[in-house]
Amino acid sequence: MSTFVYMTRCDGCGHCVDICPSDIMHIDENIRRAVNIEPNFCWECYSCVKACPNHAIDVRGYADFAPMGHSVRVRREEEKGTISWKIKFRNGTTKDFVSPITTKPWGKFIPKLAEVDKPNQGEINSQRLYTEPKGLNIDGDLPSVPKDSFKKGVYY
Amino acid sequence: MMSINPFSVLAETISPAAIQFFVLAMIALIIIGTIIQMIHHKNVTYFFNNAKKAKLSADRELGAAEKTSVILKTVVHDIATTAELGAGKRRVAHVLGMYGTILFWVASVVMVFCYTGKEIMTPTIWPMIWHIGAIMTCVGGYWFWLFLRVDVLAEAHPWYRIIKADLFVLALLACATTGLAWSYFQSSNSMGLSYLFLILFITSNIVLFGGVYWSKFAHMFYKPGAAIQKNLAEADGSRDNLPPLADAPKQFGLGIKREQPKHY
Amino acid sequence: MAKHKTHFEDCDVLVVGGGMAGTGATFEARHWGRDMKIICVEKANIDRSGAVAQGLYAINCYMGMQWGENQPEDHVRYARNDLMGMVREDLGYDMARHVDSTVHMFDEWGLPMMKNEKTGRYLREGKWQIMIHGESYKPIVAEAAKKSADKIYNRIMITHLLMDETQQNRVGGAVGFNMRTGDFHVFRSKTVIVAAGGASHIFKPRAVGEGMGRTWYAPWSNGSAYALPIAAGAKMTQMENRIVLCRFKDGYGPVGAYFLHLKTYTQNANGENYEKKWYDQTKELVGEYIDHHPTPTCLRNHAFIQETMAGGGPIHMVTTEAFQDPHLETVGWENFLGMTVGQAVVWASQNIDPKYTNPELTTSEPYVMGSHATCSGAWVSGPEDLSPPEYFWGYNRMLTIDGLFGAGDTVGGSAHKFSSGSFTEGRLAAKAAVKYIEDKKAEGIKVSDKQCEDFKATVYKPLENYTVGQNEITGGTVSPSYISPIQGLQRLQRIMDEYVGGIATNYMTNGNMLKRGLELLAWLEEDLENVGAKDYHELMRAWELKHRALTSQCVTEHTMFREETRWPGYYYRGDHMKLDDDNWHCLTVSRRDPKTGKFSLEKVPVYHIVDENEKKKAS
Repeated sequence: MSTFVYMTRCDGCGHCVDICPSDIMHIDENIRRAVNIEPNFCWECYSCVKACPNHAIDVRGYADFAPMGHSVRVRREEEKGTISWKIKFRNGTTKDFVSPITTKPWGKFIPKLAEVDKPNQGEINSQRLYTEPKGLNIDGDLPSVPKDSFKKGVYY
Repeated sequence: MMSINPFSVLAETISPAAIQFFVLAMIALIIIGTIIQMIHHKNVTYFFNNAKKAKLSADRELGAAEKTSVILKTVVHDIATTAELGAGKRRVAHVLGMYGTILFWVASVVMVFCYTGKEIMTPTIWPMIWHIGAIMTCVGGYWFWLFLRVDVLAEAHPWYRIIKADLFVLALLACATTGLAWSYFQSSNSMGLSYLFLILFITSNIVLFGGVYWSKFAHMFYKPGAAIQKNLAEADGSRDNLPPLADAPKQFGLGIKREQPKHY
Repeated sequence: MAKHKTHFEDCDVLVVGGGMAGTGATFEARHWGRDMKIICVEKANIDRSGAVAQGLYAINCYMGMQWGENQPEDHVRYARNDLMGMVREDLGYDMARHVDSTVHMFDEWGLPMMKNEKTGRYLREGKWQIMIHGESYKPIVAEAAKKSADKIYNRIMITHLLMDETQQNRVGGAVGFNMRTGDFHVFRSKTVIVAAGGASHIFKPRAVGEGMGRTWYAPWSNGSAYALPIAAGAKMTQMENRIVLCRFKDGYGPVGAYFLHLKTYTQNANGENYEKKWYDQTKELVGEYIDHHPTPTCLRNHAFIQETMAGGGPIHMVTTEAFQDPHLETVGWENFLGMTVGQAVVWASQNIDPKYTNPELTTSEPYVMGSHATCSGAWVSGPEDLSPPEYFWGYNRMLTIDGLFGAGDTVGGSAHKFSSGSFTEGRLAAKAAVKYIEDKKAEGIKVSDKQCEDFKATVYKPLENYTVGQNEITGGTVSPSYISPIQGLQRLQRIMDEYVGGIATNYMTNGNMLKRGLELLAWLEEDLENVGAKDYHELMRAWELKHRALTSQCVTEHTMFREETRWPGYYYRGDHMKLDDDNWHCLTVSRRDPKTGKFSLEKVPVYHIVDENEKKKAS
């Protein structure tokens, strides 16, 4: 499969180049616009498609097994916290889906651990991680298993 | 320097007719280059085929008044302010360069055709516009060339790497830079340097306008067409198969889209 | 050759890889090491890197202890059962007792978790899975890592670990190159947490053209999780335990939500429930393991493979019933859109609407990783309170090299941790790494300039090979003096496919085939000295190939060593076509000598720390 870039929409901003996990979106030397240089390493992850501010990138299913004439397009709207999809079958059937992508303003409720309360003395020697045991929402402390229950070999 | 019409000074040595012929030749090169490119690439065929296909998935038919309104809005907003580039430095640089070049070219034509005769006084406004246009082109263009080109910004190529895609912007910068240098040295009477930069100016223009077939020059015609088609598709619901905008409030701010595409 | 700049960075905690495990490690490290220098180095861009790039539709590892849904020992029983007994129960228990706090944090950070309308709890897909709208899962956890780290380096591929030159068997950092600037980067660090990718593309995929890209596990997971520690001489475990997945055809789209939430089921081309047909045959192979509930993943694969070989295919999933319900239909499609968009593309291209058509299933080519229904990876120490003496040597998730830690797909033996468990394992490794530093175990590390210079020459050699080699030929891709990364990769994939149990042989192998495979891999290793790269992107592909090749050697050695068929449905030893608990109810551990390149393997006992029948009362 693979991504491809619409000539009329790409203006060479570089967001796709910057985000592609496979490092296959690059800038064409003749027209200074994006192009997929290695379609056989494209996972169809849609990271570039979502990142493009002009919706200039689209996907054509892998030539090995995907007949032509289909379309799966997306609109990721960070400010609204939504992702919208439009699927179009080869036979023209369309399906639309909208889902949330966040429930909170981006990053606002992610703590900067340098600024939270320091762990108590000696806590480094415990088995507890940050937020624990409270963050587990259970009564009592972290579960454990008594060492004398350890059995070697085939047990059951 | 800024208030002197360099063409009228030049007209003392070279006949105004020759200068005017050169300008007309450059215009002809644009037209020929663009037409040959359109014929070879069949881009018009593609464009209209695509528009026909898109019409099939339109929700509704647009009336003439609606179409006109969309086109006007596109011209005033998308095209005139290069909206496609979003908020940021690239747009500012492009707008600077775009209007700078427009002013530069318009002033060139006006001065060459109206104010190169003997004893004709050029109103200072036109040389001012010419020089300011050239300076704007240089500011926007060099800013783009040195810092904002995506292959430099996002791909970490060195600023001095030249690729085929640079033909247009480099030729344009060469015209503006050598034009300014010519005007400067001519007005300060350094005749040797003046002629040098005049020749370079002439050459740059030939490269710029002669290279239309190979460069991104003609994109200044295609892009507005594409913008109009895009906005018409948005209006009639075909939207290039994209889903519609979500019906939800903008309440979460920006996430990974808040940063520049330069993470390396 | 062009001169490449070298950048030096000294730090306390170096996290290699910014995926789920890497972001977990980077995030947690700051809490315990307030004044420490914490660096994360990522091959791509941390916002979308790793296996969770496109998102996930479910978190497959959540206990729900707060609601008495599962306890950590339940997870251990489940993972142990699914892996036919072969897991590190201490690591599994440890991960399971912490994973809930990880998931609760994700909820607080803004990850949309579906809720059960009646109970208000996270909506269960199955016993272990909860459903999420996880398209932005990766950007959210990446943000957490960014807030903790001193610096996140993107587009740098770590190619080698550095070793301390004053003390035997102690890590000193890592080196790599930036694929944008081309610069060389040396990270001298007191501890290194390897949280890199497992291995896709070491076996020949079913699609070999463009479709090669549609692997089940990300194509950019090139086995650095294994190659980095293997090359440094760390011990590895269970590398023979490759995983094969039964997924939707071509797109390899996920089936979990379908089976568990939509309650769909499979049938062969004649509309029969074929799994029952193979019960007796499977019982011959594995004994009473076939009677366990739930049926282990590999055994379900086994029935599928046998049925297909016997001519009962193509096998379909019956969706037409479930898809009549509009809610389930939405779940069915969104399941792909938030996790494997490619499957939606495949169905759209072939006019497959599950409301009217029952889609086809297939078994994939094998993958090697450590966080799914499989647990290949590095041999690590467990936590002090849970690990038997053979499994503990000072610091949780530390490999057999001092100061070298692992998390996520890197760690062997801790199966079924998935995304949340990998993030959790990262947190565990980070805390242990900080403790290691505080215990003054990282004093006096010395990494000489020479060690770095030697690595630098090695790292850039493929560029040299290409440039020099170009002088010999007029052009094109065929050279007698160098091979391109894709040429090397296709050769590696064929070797593994034909000799080490790929789809070519329906996952069958034997001692003779493995021997031949090792021979061919040895020649490939020699030829990889001559891989050529024309630019930094290709250089990255060249190093991905080298890591894959080393991983493959380890996988083949392990497959050779375990003389039984422990996981039919993942692979078969034709010369030992039976599960052999008498001789092989144990883990396999290997070590490659960095100087000679020779592998040595041993058996290691499996400790069962959790009883089978005893169930702890819900708290």
